[in-house]
Amino acid sequence: MSYLDKTIAEIKLSLDKNETTVSSLTTEAIERAKDYQEKLNSFVTITEDNAKNQLDNLDSVKDSPLKGIPYALKDNFSTKGILTTASSNILKDYVPFFNATCVNKLYNKGAILIGKTVLDELAMGGTGTTGHTGPVKNPWNAKRLIGGSSAGSASAVASGIVPFSIGSDTGDSIRKPACYGGIVGYKPTYGLVSRFGLFAFASSMDHVGCFTRSVLDSAIVTDAIKGKDEKDMTTFDSSNINLTANINNDIKGKKLFYIKELVDRNNYQDDMDEELDQILINFDLIKEKCKNLGMTIEEVSIDKNLLKAIFPTYITISCAEATSNNSNLTGIIFGPRGAGDNINEIMFNARTKGFSELIKRRFVLGSYILQKENQEKLFLNAGRIRRLIVDKMTTLFKEYDAMILPATGSIAPTFRKEDIDKLSDRYLLLENHMAIANFGGFPSITIPSGFVHNMPIGINITSGIKQDEKLLNIANKIENALTYKGQIAGGEN
Amino acid sequence: MITKELLKDYANKLMFDMKDEEYQTLLKEFDVILKQMDLISNIEGINQVEPMTFPFELQDVELRKDENIRTITKEDALSNTDSKMGNEIRVPKVVE
Repeated sequence: MSYLDKTIAEIKLSLDKNETTVSSLTTEAIERAKDYQEKLNSFVTITEDNAKNQLDNLDSVKDSPLKGIPYALKDNFSTKGILTTASSNILKDYVPFFNATCVNKLYNKGAILIGKTVLDELAMGGTGTTGHTGPVKNPWNAKRLIGGSSAGSASAVASGIVPFSIGSDTGDSIRKPACYGGIVGYKPTYGLVSRFGLFAFASSMDHVGCFTRSVLDSAIVTDAIKGKDEKDMTTFDSSNINLTANINNDIKGKKLFYIKELVDRNNYQDDMDEELDQILINFDLIKEKCKNLGMTIEEVSIDKNLLKAIFPTYITISCAEATSNNSNLTGIIFGPRGAGDNINEIMFNARTKGFSELIKRRFVLGSYILQKENQEKLFLNAGRIRRLIVDKMTTLFKEYDAMILPATGSIAPTFRKEDIDKLSDRYLLLENHMAIANFGGFPSITIPSGFVHNMPIGINITSGIKQDEKLLNIANKIENALTYKGQIAGGEN
Repeated sequence: MITKELLKDYANKLMFDMKDEEYQTLLKEFDVILKQMDLISNIEGINQVEPMTFPFELQDVELRKDENIRTITKEDALSNTDSKMGNEIRVPKVVE
């Protein structure tokens, strides 16, 4: 087993004992990134020169839990002097002149950036198939997708190229690909990590988070990148939050709940197949594990109509915000410039040529939602649903420590054209519930919980705002009661 | 009712166009989307709720000091444009 296959905490121990070196770890990570690129397409850019520069300057970095640890970064985070495309043709040559705050923090802690990863174009999508450099494959089975939008960041960790990566999560863009890839995906409380330098998709729901192969590693990474940032006024002082130090606290007596309507077999009579059956059986098993750990777990009922409105509410708010956030993509300040005799034609042609079909369809939907005649019925009602759901969850989090649910209702889909019924309960309830955590800014984590048809599945755990310590503590204990910690696709585990 | 002409108008308002076949795909997609959107409006008592635009109330917002800070150099500002002249981004004449 290579040292690169270990978790961050284990690699750090090996580095401290001089069993391996930062140089050999970095070299191996870059070799793997190149070797797997044709099979997985995880990267837009492998940043070999940057890694070499960081290695050359590493002596001046003071020691930290991430010093010398290679990592990958979603290509919608600004990196000074390094191509940053958001996997879109309209930004295919864009080179930022500043770093995102989390990139600076990781640089100062000595983490080595080895590559920028493929995403769904402009982070708008859940499949990892719409990036301008092609679809990202699932390392457990390359005929299947890994999910998105943080697709390359998920596949880079799941395949063992790097022990951690950074992603962004607006609806479930970290937590769903983490589930499909059999790894840990964590989205902290809104404002715990600065969004400065992250390309905005839907600002009121965008979060920065990470992929790792253990919950402890997610704590280590987030402790390194969190903090108040004067460049993001939504960040808060979190100096009293120490995720790593509280990861092993006693969890006996903690109270969990799950939402009955999301796991009730009666709701899926028309949609039931062996896959869903196995996922629900797995969830029952996890509930037992939680009880064995000394936690209580109770069933809570929520109006099914409200739950079925989660996905359309997410689509409405995100598409509306995205149309506005992406209005700066004109081809004028950053290329490629469109043809035309006047400034309007230039912008029109740049956007027509630069956006892919899927993005345009989402923008048209956003435009439709924001038409004066639709605002009340769609945009404002979506905001009202958001409040109803967040208020309900906030009330529940006063009584319970966390919510636990299956992360998705299926394993990673194949690349064949989707035939899923987008009006079915399975799609609207179990497949898309994780946006709840984006509505309210709740911390939320997905950890692997088993396999169905040789593909990984996961559970999702969510807590109240700023309860990140408790969330990771609970997730860590559940992870330790299972056997999937540190697993790599095709690896020894 | 949603028509191709309406969709084209929505697209053009956001300053882009689509191919004919793409509008056809979008029209079909709208059939499903509109049914999903109905789920938003069918919640009892929805009109009495104040729309939420942000995840939670920020508790420690403070105004920055009113200091004049140069955050971007001319070279940086011009570094990603396809057409520049001297210290400026070049565009066709705006005022006729």
